[in-house]
Amino acid sequence: MAQKTGGQLEETALIRAAQGGDRAAFEQLVRAYDQSVLRLAMNLLRSPEDAQDVYQEAFLRVFRNLDKFRFDCSFHTWLYRIVTNLCLDHMRKRKVRKEEPTIVTTTEGPLDRMDAVIEERVDGDPQRFLFSGELRKRVKEVLAELTPRERMVFELRHYQGLRLRRIGEILGTTEEAAKNCLFRATQKMRAALGDFV
Amino acid sequence: MTGLYQGDLHPNDSCAAVKDFFPLYLYNELSFDEEERVESHLDACVECSQALERQREVQMALDNIAVEPAPSLLRSCREELHYRLVEEEAGSHSGAKRGWWEQFTDMLTGRSGSGWMKPAGALTLVALGFGLARLPLGTAGSGGGLFQAGMMEPSASRVRYVEPSSDGRVQVVLDETRQRIVSGALNDQKFRVLLLSAAKDPSDPGLRAETVELLNNSAQFSDVRDALVSALKDQNAGVRLKAMGGLRSFAEQPEVRLAMTQVLLTDTNPEMRSRAIDLLTKGLAVENPAQSYDRQVIGAMQEIMQRESNAYVRQRCKTALESVKASTETY
Repeated sequence: MAQKTGGQLEETALIRAAQGGDRAAFEQLVRAYDQSVLRLAMNLLRSPEDAQDVYQEAFLRVFRNLDKFRFDCSFHTWLYRIVTNLCLDHMRKRKVRKEEPTIVTTTEGPLDRMDAVIEERVDGDPQRFLFSGELRKRVKEVLAELTPRERMVFELRHYQGLRLRRIGEILGTTEEAAKNCLFRATQKMRAALGDFV
Repeated sequence: MTGLYQGDLHPNDSCAAVKDFFPLYLYNELSFDEEERVESHLDACVECSQALERQREVQMALDNIAVEPAPSLLRSCREELHYRLVEEEAGSHSGAKRGWWEQFTDMLTGRSGSGWMKPAGALTLVALGFGLARLPLGTAGSGGGLFQAGMMEPSASRVRYVEPSSDGRVQVVLDETRQRIVSGALNDQKFRVLLLSAAKDPSDPGLRAETVELLNNSAQFSDVRDALVSALKDQNAGVRLKAMGGLRSFAEQPEVRLAMTQVLLTDTNPEMRSRAIDLLTKGLAVENPAQSYDRQVIGAMQEIMQRESNAYVRQRCKTALESVKASTETY
């Protein structure tokens, strides 16, 4: 068995303390991961309210089921399994309802609410802005057209930087299936962004 | 267009077939053989090499639509979760068999689920406070501190724990936060100390982000610059990005350049690395560009060229190195 690093040992101690009912340890564990969980939910669902719901539900589920966590996989994988399932549920429901949650109508016309919550958007680079105008719009459209699973794999690979093997573990599938999914997603994007590629 | 990943490129692959694999190639997710075939094709096909560069740009542009949750949203999520966890705990404890002392402390702190017990708890607290208030300060021991801190002055307090002592009395330990409004100007060094402390508050990333944003306008003071440099190592990317903004006008100072080089080499957020390159290349002298770089920065950028996973950051490094006619490779 591979040796555990100092960080992993610290995490294991935190998990064990939390399993023993130490809420402070649990909240410390939450803080180690909650920013990336919220970022994942926000990017997938593109709605601060839905992202907040996923955040609450995910960590409450972790809290309620922590005693069942047996260290068979990393805590990160276990947590992300819960979060990705919740996000997939949200996305599937949304597909059925055909909602576009981030676009709201205002007196000044349609407005993407996500633009109001993006605090750390890329700025200061004219080249990137020049390129991004129309492209940004098209990318958003094509992302909305991906199936929930394709969207999830793309998000985890491109934005969360996870390798396909880890993505397979999280989604309960093989690396090959995750690769297929990513391939389909990127094919669709290439087709939709033909003018740019 | 193939709908499924075929996983098998052939020596005489068509341009269209190779292009299908560009995204996976850029994500470093092709097998060794597949990657070899793509690269063999690229060596012989100028058109595909150009197409790969366009694909790279598109993937870099995708970063533009990523969103970073606002610190205020994260803070609100944490607060809500905290309260829900308290509720969960209270719910799970209510059914369990509990000793008289636990039930008593639940009653005191209002955790008890029984409606009638809450007013009873409140009454007990009042009686307790009344009794303690009559204890002589000098003889109350730790109770004296409690009396002084908790009962006489307006403050936000929380019972940390309560326990019986052997002499039949009760010891209540309070955590308290006394609120006070202080106003001042940022050019007042004594006042800045408060803000510099808030910028390091480990419990509240939202507060740190807001404070760093405020401090950004006072980066002419060396203590503020030190705090901003320190905030570049904050665990919250939002705080780090704000700190980066405040140091923008001081990019030519050695300590700032050193900090930026560290960011470039170690920060996990590609946007931070990208902005570090912006700052390190800022003020590039057109007539003698090499003077604007020191060897350490060039070395860092060359290292990044070898190991950076983000295509946009790699491209920025490449452009910067080429502009000073430095090699884009390390030997």
